[in-house]
Amino acid sequence: MSEELTLINQLKARDERALSSLYDKYSAALYGVIIRICRNEANAQDLLQETFVKIWEKSDSYDPEKGRFYTWAYRIARNTTLNSLRNRPELIQNQDLSVYKNKEDDQSETAIDLTRLNGTLKQLEEHHQKAIELVYFKGMTHREAHEEMGVPLGTFKSYVRQALTNLRKSYELLSFLGLFIFERIL
Amino acid sequence: MKENYDIIESGMLERYLLGELSKDEVIEIEAALSRDSSLRAQLDQLEQDLETMAIENALTPPENVKQAVFRELQMNSDEKIIKIKPLKPVRTYTAIAASIAALFMLSSFWLYQKMNGIQEDLRVVKEQNNLLLEEKDNLQKDIEATNKWLSAVNSAETEKLIMKGNDLLPEATAISYVNHSEKTVILNASGLPELPADKDYQLWADVEGEMIDMGVIPKKSEMIVMTYIEDAESLNITIEPAGGNDHPTVSNLISFVSI
Repeated sequence: MSEELTLINQLKARDERALSSLYDKYSAALYGVIIRICRNEANAQDLLQETFVKIWEKSDSYDPEKGRFYTWAYRIARNTTLNSLRNRPELIQNQDLSVYKNKEDDQSETAIDLTRLNGTLKQLEEHHQKAIELVYFKGMTHREAHEEMGVPLGTFKSYVRQALTNLRKSYELLSFLGLFIFERIL
Repeated sequence: MKENYDIIESGMLERYLLGELSKDEVIEIEAALSRDSSLRAQLDQLEQDLETMAIENALTPPENVKQAVFRELQMNSDEKIIKIKPLKPVRTYTAIAASIAALFMLSSFWLYQKMNGIQEDLRVVKEQNNLLLEEKDNLQKDIEATNKWLSAVNSAETEKLIMKGNDLLPEATAISYVNHSEKTVILNASGLPELPADKDYQLWADVEGEMIDMGVIPKKSEMIVMTYIEDAESLNITIEPAGGNDHPTVSNLISFVSI
């Protein structure tokens, strides 16, 4: 973590090499979020670029005391993407996933693949998965998301909490298993 | 002031993480976080989960996005005005434009040279043309003159008189053509020997014993139109000082013929 703090300090000192390292570390994670919100590869690339330019320009406003760098960068990526969609609502319509789903041919498969969620999330119950997807990967507020799911706000909040708790358990189990396998190999 | 339990149960931590909270709520929750390390630990865990989730669902962006980021940074940093670094395509276009311009200049220069050469040729041709025209005019005049005396000489009314040199100049001959109706006298002086520069032959008409000037005979000429004198009884040729004389030097009479 202190290694990352050094990078952050270099970034604040306008060292482009620090930005380059942070890009290598976080661009894929942020791109995964952006592309799932905007559902268009070309736009997602532009928005990723815009996100990292903002990270460079706003690096002064990041306070490591208050949270992780990823959280801060995630907020920038999410807001940048949501703002661009608000300014160009036609993009949401045209690139809706349902459009791709109806088409069996062309590049529809890749479009679906790109936005499908992976990893531990898939082990969650469906409504938990949906809750996390709406909030963390679709960029919806809790209010928008509970309406989308058709459940009361309080219920939705509990979905998110339960989902996160279950995720945590999975991660802990995974890291325990990982450690176990690692020790066995040694 | 909310209790930690409320903060956790109300989902404020998650919403704080996502940046969904209002300014007042942010101040409230940050105060709570700095107060309570267990709450802080909860947030840390949430953050870590969010990051893990994101890494699990990461997608590697194309390589050119990173290059685009740094290109944009450079463009923004150098105060925009000082940005002189030309982009590659611009350089290529400049090179192409420069090549075309150079080719154009070379071909223009070549054409200019060529045009100059052609203009010079044209000038020479015009000059030659003028000379030829002049020559043609001269020939025309000659032909007209020749035709004139030829028709005069060939006329049935023309009298041909042969003048032979006397003892002073026996080798001399001249032929005069006299036409009384046309009142013309033409002299063929080609048979007269050449004179020194200070002497000229002169033709005279004898009218009732008086010698009247018919003109100086120019050197090196063949057919000369002389002055016709009315009632002339004879034609006489004398040798006079160059330019002719008012009165004939009778002692220098070399030839005469009666009409």
